[in-house]
Amino acid sequence: MIELLARTVTMGTPLLYGSLSEVYAERSGVMNTAIEGIFLMGAWAGFVAAYQSGGNLAIGLLAAMLAGLLTAALYGWICIYLKQHQIVTGTAINILALGICAFFQRVIFGVPVTPLIVQPLQPIALPLLSEIPVIGPILFNQNILTYALFLLVPLANFVLFKASLGLSIRSIGENPEAGDVAGIRVDRLRFLTILFAGVMCGVGGAFYSIGYLGMFTITIIGGRGWIAFAICFLGNWKPLGVLAGTLVFGFAEAVAILMQSRGAGLFPNELFIALPYILTIVLTVSRRSFNVPATLGVPYRKEG
Amino acid sequence: MSSKTRDLLLTNVLAVAAGLTASGLLLLFLGANPLVTMGTLFGSLFRDSYTFADIFVKATPLMFTALAFGLPFQANLYNIGAQGQFYIGSITAVGLSLLLQGRMPGLLALAIVALVSFLLGGLWGGMIGWLKARFNANEFLVSMMSTYVALNLMNYLLRTFLMESKAEYPQTNPLAQAVWLPIVVPGTRLHVGFILGVLACVSVWVLLYKTALGFRIRAVGSNKDAAELAGINYKRLYVVTFFIAGALAALGGFTEVNGVQHMLVQGFNPGVGAAGIGIAILANGNPLGMIFAAILFGALNVGGTIMGQLSGIPSSINELMLGFVMVFVILAYYVREKLEDRREKARLKKAASL
Repeated sequence: MIELLARTVTMGTPLLYGSLSEVYAERSGVMNTAIEGIFLMGAWAGFVAAYQSGGNLAIGLLAAMLAGLLTAALYGWICIYLKQHQIVTGTAINILALGICAFFQRVIFGVPVTPLIVQPLQPIALPLLSEIPVIGPILFNQNILTYALFLLVPLANFVLFKASLGLSIRSIGENPEAGDVAGIRVDRLRFLTILFAGVMCGVGGAFYSIGYLGMFTITIIGGRGWIAFAICFLGNWKPLGVLAGTLVFGFAEAVAILMQSRGAGLFPNELFIALPYILTIVLTVSRRSFNVPATLGVPYRKEG
Repeated sequence: MSSKTRDLLLTNVLAVAAGLTASGLLLLFLGANPLVTMGTLFGSLFRDSYTFADIFVKATPLMFTALAFGLPFQANLYNIGAQGQFYIGSITAVGLSLLLQGRMPGLLALAIVALVSFLLGGLWGGMIGWLKARFNANEFLVSMMSTYVALNLMNYLLRTFLMESKAEYPQTNPLAQAVWLPIVVPGTRLHVGFILGVLACVSVWVLLYKTALGFRIRAVGSNKDAAELAGINYKRLYVVTFFIAGALAALGGFTEVNGVQHMLVQGFNPGVGAAGIGIAILANGNPLGMIFAAILFGALNVGGTIMGQLSGIPSSINELMLGFVMVFVILAYYVREKLEDRREKARLKKAASL
């Protein structure tokens, strides 16, 4: 059970990077529908940079952030400055990301004979804390990306609800005209928020390649970006809400991994693989009290 | 030709050209000459009638998945789950064909298979619309997730009930020739499914622009609240629209299984759902335009595959071309808005100076 919960935290980590950033993006009024593609770019760029630098994971992470940033910049430019359709643009960028990763993986590595691997991030047992019974092995024997979230989640919550930056972000999502009148440059702030989301999602994607598996395949993300996207809805656009959401989904994934490794039981493996997706549908259906940002998905067009 | 239509054609042609140029330039990284390679791509399409007909074979499922996105889009609904609905149709088609073949005349079996695939795909899709109508569930998310569920359902069935008798690979037994869709042009793979696809596009066009239901769909799409005030039951419309969308995507699965593959293989046609979205936006949501857009994408697909066989270009060039073309098509929307703006301003100026 402890192992299962520890794995819940591990598998929830990348989802939390994604969904936290999605909260910020959507609060500003922009859905980041390129999230799946940005995760993939992060996973790929992180792996390539780490591999080429002889296994330097810090370089890998930086590359993942940069790849996320650039992909988000393209998305933001089209959706925020050119005011084009967010869901359609996201779909296009997700396909493009798939093509770019698969194509350049081939350009760089050809058709490798042996699988390409790097040593992934190792868990670091925090002294003393990791020795607390039950909580220690679950929370304090994780890798550095998980620990970073211990700081990021409270910080994200504070900034969004208590700092003036958060107020500005929320106000342009609810009422961009008012924000504009108050002197906020709506498009610029939305763009910066999306860039931030791109960096976070780049890290989230890199978690799968260099933070956990130590390898890259083109199906490595397999819809997890979309799950992070869903968690933002389910978590009611709140940092603490998405924290709870990621734990639920992390648990579903942990159970799926455990059941798969145990081999054929009463239920087929495919059911467990599909579990997080089924869970999303069930939760999407049962969750009622949404506080959707008022202008979510609507580009801001100045009058005149 | 109105200036809007001219803008549409011109900007989209430029967008496709720009998308292909961008993908072509990336070929430089492989040390391939983009001009020569792209020349091979287009030249190879016309090398023989078999290859040429394959363009339309590849276009067939794309017309269905494009409609599956494009029809709900008119009601401002997002069906991102065409891939899953396509798989539901494929599973149904292969399972039922294996069951019925040899027990009745082929054409009767085909008709039943088509109908049942249509209905089951419709139920799968209609469920999404129902969840939205009944629980206000986000259809974008639900349809997205339903694809992964359908994929895993397919994988499971291919490993168990539908697995081939040899039990070696996750695939079904081949279908008997009696339940293959008839070939239209002898010596090629072009089957009746293509005609069905064209008919589907025409029917959806008629539905949208010539019937009361289509009017209601478009009314809900342009202003849901106004439509509701006017007495349109938008909740029922959600279910109906998604039912049709799912049913069409499933028909695409049927034509692919009974017309081309003649069996079901794990992980087949993984990109038809996404390509369908690209086609729908390239056609600007017009079902008749989707026929031509699907043929274009079919051509890129065939050309890309041959290019891979001839010059060792990886098959990911297909996704690259698709992605770049889609991005440029979206940019073309922006350019059209600007052109329309400018004309509007010119008109106003002229009116003001009178």
